[in-house]
Order: sequence, then C-alpha cells, then structure tokens
Amino acid sequence: MDFSFTKEQLMFKEEVIRFAKKEIVPRVAEHELACTFDFEAFRKMGEFGILGLHFPEELGGQGADVITTVLAGEALGEAGVDGGLTLAYGAHTFLCADTLFRHGTDAQRKKYIPKLASGQWIGCMGLTEPGAGSDVASMKTEAVKKGDTYVLNGSKIFITNGPIADVAVVYAKTDPSQQHAGISAFVVEKGTPGFSSGEPLKKMGVHTSQTSELFFNDCTIPAQNLLGQEGMGFQMAMETVEWDRSALLAPFIGSGSYLLKKCVRYAKERVQFGRPIGHFQATKHKIADIKIMLEAGRSLVYRIAWCKDSGKPLNHLEAAVAKLFAGDWTLQPMNDAMLIFGGYGYCHEYDVERCFRDGRLAPIGGGTSDIQKMIISRLM
Amino acid sequence: MNFDYSPKEKAFLEEIGAIVSQYASQAGSRVEKPLALILKKLAATPYLRLGIEPVDGMEGPQSLMAAAQKFAAAYPSLYLSVEMSTRVFGGALSRFGSATQKEKFLTPLLKGELVGAMALSESSMNVENDALATTGTVDGDKVLVSGVKSFVINGPIANVIAVAGAYEGGTGIFFVPADAPGLTIGEPLGTLGFEGALISAVSLENCPVDKNFVIGPLAHKEAMDALKLMENQVLVGAALGAMSAAFEAAKKHAKEHKSGGRPIIAYQEVAFKLAEMLTMVQTCELLAQRACWLLKNNDNQALEVFLCAKVMCGECAEKVASGALQILSGSGFTAPNPTERAYRNAKFVQIAGVSTEIARVKIGDMELGYGK
Repeated sequence: MDFSFTKEQLMFKEEVIRFAKKEIVPRVAEHELACTFDFEAFRKMGEFGILGLHFPEELGGQGADVITTVLAGEALGEAGVDGGLTLAYGAHTFLCADTLFRHGTDAQRKKYIPKLASGQWIGCMGLTEPGAGSDVASMKTEAVKKGDTYVLNGSKIFITNGPIADVAVVYAKTDPSQQHAGISAFVVEKGTPGFSSGEPLKKMGVHTSQTSELFFNDCTIPAQNLLGQEGMGFQMAMETVEWDRSALLAPFIGSGSYLLKKCVRYAKERVQFGRPIGHFQATKHKIADIKIMLEAGRSLVYRIAWCKDSGKPLNHLEAAVAKLFAGDWTLQPMNDAMLIFGGYGYCHEYDVERCFRDGRLAPIGGGTSDIQKMIISRLM
Repeated sequence: MNFDYSPKEKAFLEEIGAIVSQYASQAGSRVEKPLALILKKLAATPYLRLGIEPVDGMEGPQSLMAAAQKFAAAYPSLYLSVEMSTRVFGGALSRFGSATQKEKFLTPLLKGELVGAMALSESSMNVENDALATTGTVDGDKVLVSGVKSFVINGPIANVIAVAGAYEGGTGIFFVPADAPGLTIGEPLGTLGFEGALISAVSLENCPVDKNFVIGPLAHKEAMDALKLMENQVLVGAALGAMSAAFEAAKKHAKEHKSGGRPIIAYQEVAFKLAEMLTMVQTCELLAQRACWLLKNNDNQALEVFLCAKVMCGECAEKVASGALQILSGSGFTAPNPTERAYRNAKFVQIAGVSTEIARVKIGDMELGYGK
C-alpha cells in the first residue's frame, strides 16, 4: 500500500486552501447567520476550477483524477469553508454534473457540463421523495412518454440547491409496475412549465445550502432529456450516491482538520487555574480523540477515490464503511471540540458550533448510518 | 496512492496464513513447544526479517502488519512471543546494535535459533519518560546491572534478555544471557489474556554483562520512544488479530445459526452489529497500514500516528470482540474459543506498551507542541 500523494496533488491542495481562505471564508459567517447562499463564492469556485475538476478540459473541466478532486474538497473544509457551501458544491458537481457527464449524450454533455463546471449554472439532483428515502424503489414520481415528450408528475424533497438550481437531474418511474428497473433519469431545466421548487427548508445546520422540495405538475420535457435509457435510473443513482459517500465526505474530513487547529490554538491561549487549558489531561484527551478520528477517517475516503481512479466504478462496501465511520464516529470529537471552547463554543462567534451543526448531517444525508449498515451487512 | 497489496505480498500473506493456521487449534496452550517449531518455519519465509532488515519485494513494516494480523488471529500468545523476541528484542539490536552484537544475537534470532526478551517496564514508569530505576555501572570490562523489571514477555523462556536501564548519563540496553549470575527470573504470571505467553518479573543484582554486549548510552527519550514504538507495532498487530478472529467467528455464526427459521444475520440487530464491527476492522487496518507506511518512510508523523493507531485499534478490538460475544451468545461465553480469547486479549493491548491514556496525553502534547 502506498499512501503518498504526488507533488502536484499536494501543491494543488495548498492552492485551494489559499483560494478558499481569501475568497470564501471571510463571508462564511455572514451567510451562515443569514441562511443565504453565497453566489459570489460559488462563481469564484467555478472560475478557480473546483466545480469541474474531474471533467475533461474540452468540457471546461481540469481533467483531474479523483484523488485530486477529493483533496480539493478536503482543502475547502480545512480552510474553514462551511458545510453548506461544500454540500452545495457536492450536489452540483457530483450528484448533478457527474451524472450528466457519465450518462449524457455528447450533445447533453456539451450543453450542460461547461456551464456547470464554470459555475454559470447551478445543478441539483432530485431523488428523495416524501415517501421514498433510502427505499428508492417506492418513489411515486412518474414520467409518462407522450410522443416525443415525457410528462413528469410528482414531488421531491430535501433537494440541495433545489431553490437555486438552473438544471436538475430528476429520477422518476417510467414503469411503475417495476421496482428498481422502472426508474429512469431525466434532465429538467429551470423554467420548464410545470416544474417549480418550494421555499428553502429551515435546517439545524448547513445553513448556506438551499434545500427545498421540487414539484412536477404535468411538467413536459423533450424525450431527448432522458439520460441514458429507460430503466437505468437506479444504477445511475447508485453510482451517484457513491460520490455522496466519498468526495462529499472529503470536506467533512477537512473540516475536522480545521476544528483541530482551532482547538489547539484555543487550548494554548485560554488560561484557567493559572495555566493554559491545554496543559490539562482532559483537554489533551479531547484533542487526541479529534486527531485519532481524523487519521482514521481520512484513509477511508482516499481509498474510495483510489478505487475510482483504478477504474472500479462501484465500490459500495468501501463507500458504506467510509460513510458509516464518518457519520457515527466523528460526532463525539466534534462535541469535544465544543467542550474545549466551553461557553464560547456554544456561540456563533466561534464557528465550532457551526461545524458541529454542519457535521450532524453526516450520519443522515446520502443514506443514514442504518442504511450504510444494511449495505455493509448485505455485502459481507 | 495504492490501497492494494503487491502480488508478492499477497503470496507471502498466503504462505504465512497457511503456516499459522496449523497452530490455531493450540491457541489456548502455552507457547514453549510450538515456539521453536514455528520460529524455524517463519525463518524460512521473509517474516522474521521484516522491519528488521530490507526484504526484496516487501514493504517492511506494512507487509509485516498484514501478516501479523493473520498470525495474531490464529494464535495470539504465540504471536506475542515471536514478536516480542523478533521485533522488540531484535528491533533494538537492528536499530542500535553494533556489528558484533548483531552477529552474536540478531543472526541466530533471524534463523529462528534464539528467543529474546525485552525487559523495559518498571513499576514507576509514567507519561513523562523519567529516567529508569534499573542501572548499569561500569566495572572494568563489565557492566554490572541491577534493578527489577516487571511484565517481561518471554522472560522464563528467553535465551537472552535485553534489559533497559540508566547508563552513563543516558539509557543503555544490556544483553543478559539467561544463565547470567545475579539474574533471577520470576515465575510465569497468571494473566487475564495471552495466557499461553510466558510473562514474568525479572530482577538483576550486580549482574555482569560484557561491555561488548551493551548498547549505549543512548539519549533517554530517543531510546524510550524507539522501544515503545516497537512494542506498539506488535500490539497494534495483536489488536488487529483479535478483531479479525472475533469478527470472522461472529460472521460465521450469524450465517449458520438459525433462529425463528432463518439465519440470525437476517435480523438487523445482528446484521447491523456485524456492519459496525466490519467498519471498525477496516478502519483500523487502514490506520495501521498508514502508520506503518509513515514509519517505513521515516516520516516525522510516524510516532504520533502510531499512537493514534494504538488507541484506535486497542479500543476497537475490545468493541469488536464484545459485539462478537453478543452475537455468539452462549457459545461465545464458553471457553476456550477465539472470541472470548480476543475479548480478554484486547484489554492487554490497551494497557501494554503505551497505555491508551498515556497515548492520548502524548498525542495531545504533540498536537499542542508540548512535552519534553
């Protein structure tokens, strides 16, 4: 086994950290408190190249490998970018754009990927429904073929970027008599008659990401907006959620590094009982636990990236293990970080509580921890 | 990056798996008899030399850790005995020994012809790495060693015991033959786990050691960090082995044992517990491999990441074994079996070497830039 990165990968990570600290982080608190999306930061991420890192250059991407892509995500978290913006980036780049790239026709790729990679357009993915979370096959949204169009009816929920997206990859049943084999994927653009989004949902964390319902009321789209072939949607969704459990975990790991640095700095400055609190074993214990979880979690995420770079498209076991660990094992260290800061940690001014709230999504989004356990146990 | 083993490593791991599996049925027995036999068999493979000297096609500590996991899963006490001899006693020689010392002790050790022990622990040892109470005093061409060492693994069966002690303003390692005058080996201790290993106290009273067979004086912190790191490598391997043994036993049972007309793995209470256990096993394997990779590359993070691995693996070993015991239910509670053994052994991993508490303090110190 080799855990090394190339010099270029490490230099790029440092570049992303510098970029994020200068162009994004100064506005994080403002947007976080206001629960607003930072369009300017997103546009700058597009200009920098982060939004389309792993797409080919001819489509506006950077042609990067998955490990570099994961490192960039980690760098955003490490710089102090909030979980809301990194979630929006993940939903945009991996759940929407990557699906279009992998399963779209040449025409679809040329039409959408350059706009998404540059940040000119924002993308989202509509899979979850009020009655169909991890049980994807029970989705009710239907797409009925009528001539050279499909007519969509139904609704989606918890859609990251829903209210701000210019284009959505939407999963719907083309054959309701089938379970997974009846699901197909479609491209739906903003402004299509019958397509609308709900008001942004109020959430515990990831405040800057805009999450809403999507509604389809006789939403009529051209037949060529079908992605791939009818009945292939579930397979696409499974590939997509694997990104959810790898590249989307990277900013979360980066956020752990950010927290660790903050805790170390604070523990050395904060004096109680005549000495910095870092000199107390209880504080060292908490700092050690954050470090241990970071070291343990990081390699799990890199492993999936390496699998993808090695040409293994589906790595469900590795992805589920990484997601389960990141979701379940890192909550306590994040709680410990707040305890190191004491009362200050509970206040918005020190964004430790923000990290805690953002991180609480990890065992929920992209398949809850219980779903990961179900996947792992079926594969063993 | 590469998260796979090379073809040569895979072949080596298969070979080690085949050797150690022959001894698995004796896993509850004391190690005296199988030790000599397995040392000879292992000496015919790259196993004993890994981490001690370069081996073509192998990745040193990384290949070793993967093999160690198999060995420790099959026969934990025998693993502990072989490793304390090879990797700690032999590791000290490899790292600090002179050509004469290596010729005298390391060469037969790697041929499987010598059993070593490392006498390091003392009752007063603590997080601050204070000077050792055991001393070596120069007396002509001899060094007279005096002190009391506790929990010496292989103490009763070692041909030579490496004793760490204060020496000439630093730390020395004294190679004491088992029949040296002034050396008293205590009775084997009864222990909660690793019951087949022979662990005893060792006391030395003006025990004469040829100066040619003394390492040092070394800087105390360097010597202690190095020896503790060697111990921790062995213990991380032991933890991985305990986890593997317990997890595999629980998985097998869950697939075979039926309740309500179906295998118990069909029930979420069992299946999800297994999923949590597998997550711990894989996470710990990767963390241990990364620590070994850092060590192989002389990275200055190696010491800290190894401490992280020690804490994580030691604590997960107990959790995995505990989960396995729940799944195995009554059949896991009957002794001896691999799961209850893994549960008992896991506690040793948390205590021995650098305890998890001291490890956390040290990790905290490293992050904070504190410590001596």
